[in-house]
Amino acid sequence: MAHARISAKLPPDIDPTKAAIAFGERALPKLNEELQSPELLTRQRALMALCDLVHDPENVYQAIQLGFLDNLKYLLLDHDSTVREKTTEVLYIMASHNVGRDGFIKYGVIPALSQLLNDPVDICRRNMHRAFEIMAELPRGAVGIVDSSLISSLVLKLKTELDEIQELILDTLSGCLCIEAFEALATGAVSILKEKLTHPSVAIRSKAARVLLGISVPLEGKNIVWDEEVIPVLVSLLEDSDPEVRANAAGALMNATITTQGKYAALSADAIPPLLKLVDDETSKVRLNAIKALTMLSEAPEGRKTLLNHVDLFRGQLNDSSEAVSRAAKIAIKVIEWKP
Amino acid sequence: MLPARNQEAMAAAASGTYSYCSRPRALPARRRYREEEPVRYANLMYDRRVVRGNTYALHALPWVGSPDPLEIQRQREAHRKALARKRAKEQHQSRTPEPVEGRKHVDVQTELYLEELGDRIIEVDVECQTDAFLDRPPTPLFIPAKTGRDVATQIEEGELFDFDIEVKPMLEVLIGKIIEQALLEVMEEEELANLRAHQYAYEELRNAELAEVQRLEEQERRHREEKERRKNQQSQLLQKQKETSEKIAARAFAQRYLADLIPSVFSSLRDSGYFYDPVERGLYYFSFFFTGSIRRLIFFFGGSSSVVSASECCSFKTSESMLHTSSLSDFGRHFKFLNFESSAVAIFRNLTLVPSLRFVKSAVKVFLK
Repeated sequence: MAHARISAKLPPDIDPTKAAIAFGERALPKLNEELQSPELLTRQRALMALCDLVHDPENVYQAIQLGFLDNLKYLLLDHDSTVREKTTEVLYIMASHNVGRDGFIKYGVIPALSQLLNDPVDICRRNMHRAFEIMAELPRGAVGIVDSSLISSLVLKLKTELDEIQELILDTLSGCLCIEAFEALATGAVSILKEKLTHPSVAIRSKAARVLLGISVPLEGKNIVWDEEVIPVLVSLLEDSDPEVRANAAGALMNATITTQGKYAALSADAIPPLLKLVDDETSKVRLNAIKALTMLSEAPEGRKTLLNHVDLFRGQLNDSSEAVSRAAKIAIKVIEWKP
Repeated sequence: MLPARNQEAMAAAASGTYSYCSRPRALPARRRYREEEPVRYANLMYDRRVVRGNTYALHALPWVGSPDPLEIQRQREAHRKALARKRAKEQHQSRTPEPVEGRKHVDVQTELYLEELGDRIIEVDVECQTDAFLDRPPTPLFIPAKTGRDVATQIEEGELFDFDIEVKPMLEVLIGKIIEQALLEVMEEEELANLRAHQYAYEELRNAELAEVQRLEEQERRHREEKERRKNQQSQLLQKQKETSEKIAARAFAQRYLADLIPSVFSSLRDSGYFYDPVERGLYYFSFFFTGSIRRLIFFFGGSSSVVSASECCSFKTSESMLHTSSLSDFGRHFKFLNFESSAVAIFRNLTLVPSLRFVKSAVKVFLK
């Protein structure tokens, strides 16, 4: 039987682990059929070839039109770990394209992906969480994640997962909290995040502070943050070496001190001196959040008394490069000098 | 080479280059020359395979098809009979007894003289034998004589195609594809990084604005509550003031109202006779029991106004008791006598208060007489 390949000895550069990609239009349909093959090797090779093709957005679009997502969903539950790894990688690359994200929401890929939360292989879980993180950056994707009631399981996973996966989970959570925070609060996220604030890894600290910022936006969140006494921990983080950590901690304080009890908790934790130091920080985000937090604190009479002595610091920020910072400084001065 | 070739063949077979009905296998090496074999002589006369004797009487076809078992049995029996005959014949021949142990029988000529066997034919053995077979030497190479014409052709360098020029488009396509793929991936990452940076800046602003909004809300709420509280305080104050003034007014009015109370109370009580002189009351009770002896009373106490007033009171109370007495007329006479007419009038006035007044009228008439 003749074959297209001329010699039995393969050229040295061809990757034997990838399936042969057909030419032009037939590439993706053929891969689609190969994905459904009962033979393990065919499936693996088709997935490896698909991984390369999916970097091109046109291919992603075509793939979704052809109904790849159903096959991929089915393959997520395969016994072989290589197949699962590659499938999650393909889904993660697809999620980084807008077309892919739309397809995810339309075909309900998120609940299927969530079945892999307890997968024994690390790479599968990592890819899955990467996909979730990218989905959470889009508002509709975050709605999809919230609708699949994933938040409670994600929060519980924070306690047990590896560090890099924890970072991904924290990012996902901060995206979803913009939509709805109650589920996370109900699962006791605040206490878990409080532990994470003192984690040795810088990235985890900054992301945990960011999640706290998001959680303390609704009123219940603020009350729970005050209840769990997270405010003193946040104040201690204001002196951290990483600017991201400082910015997020100041932001979380800013949100948590809106309530009266939060204000007094912050004042008793002696938050004003570190915040004053941060007003002159290099990163604009740090300055912005610090000024805002001080504005909150100056609503309380004790805070106002203390800050009346430091009004000049704010005047210095009035001509700051970032417009938001100068606006915030103006508001701060107004609030501090308000007489009832 | 062979295993390599096998593997290749198998790999090729696996990949579908060739398919066989029977797999090709390598042949073992063929020997060019025969090895030394043992030479076997064979004389036709002594060859067992040749049939001897009468061929007609023998079994025509010894083993033809499947021999009949009956035939086989008959053969066997015949054979056995022959053997038995032979044995019997041998037994008839007398034999010398077996040699004793340690001895051996030897055939010895028992004739007296030795006899020369002279009529022995002199035999000479002559044999003839061909030489052992020599192996056939290999055929010499047959090189036929050269016929025909020789023609040669040679491709010089640069005549077919120029590799560099030809390979260029292919290379371009290959490298183009590779770079395209790489660029796509890089662009993807860059896009993602850009998106993230955007989102970061946006998130910053959003958080700040959100906090501002909430702070203002909070401020509003506090101010509003403060205002509410103060308003409530003020209204409570007003209410209290109003209440106090009302109370004062009420008290003043009540005082004034009640100032009159005591005298009027006393007067009405006196009018209704709740205030009494205990002496009079005592007299009254006294007279109550001694209704017929009022005259006597008057005589006893005669002439004192107190008596008159006592009798006033007594009359008021004893008017009923006097109903049955005819002492009213006496009464009037006595009063006349005593010249206390006004009091008598008073008494009679009191008496008129009594419902049954028939005799009162008569008493009055008497009085007026």
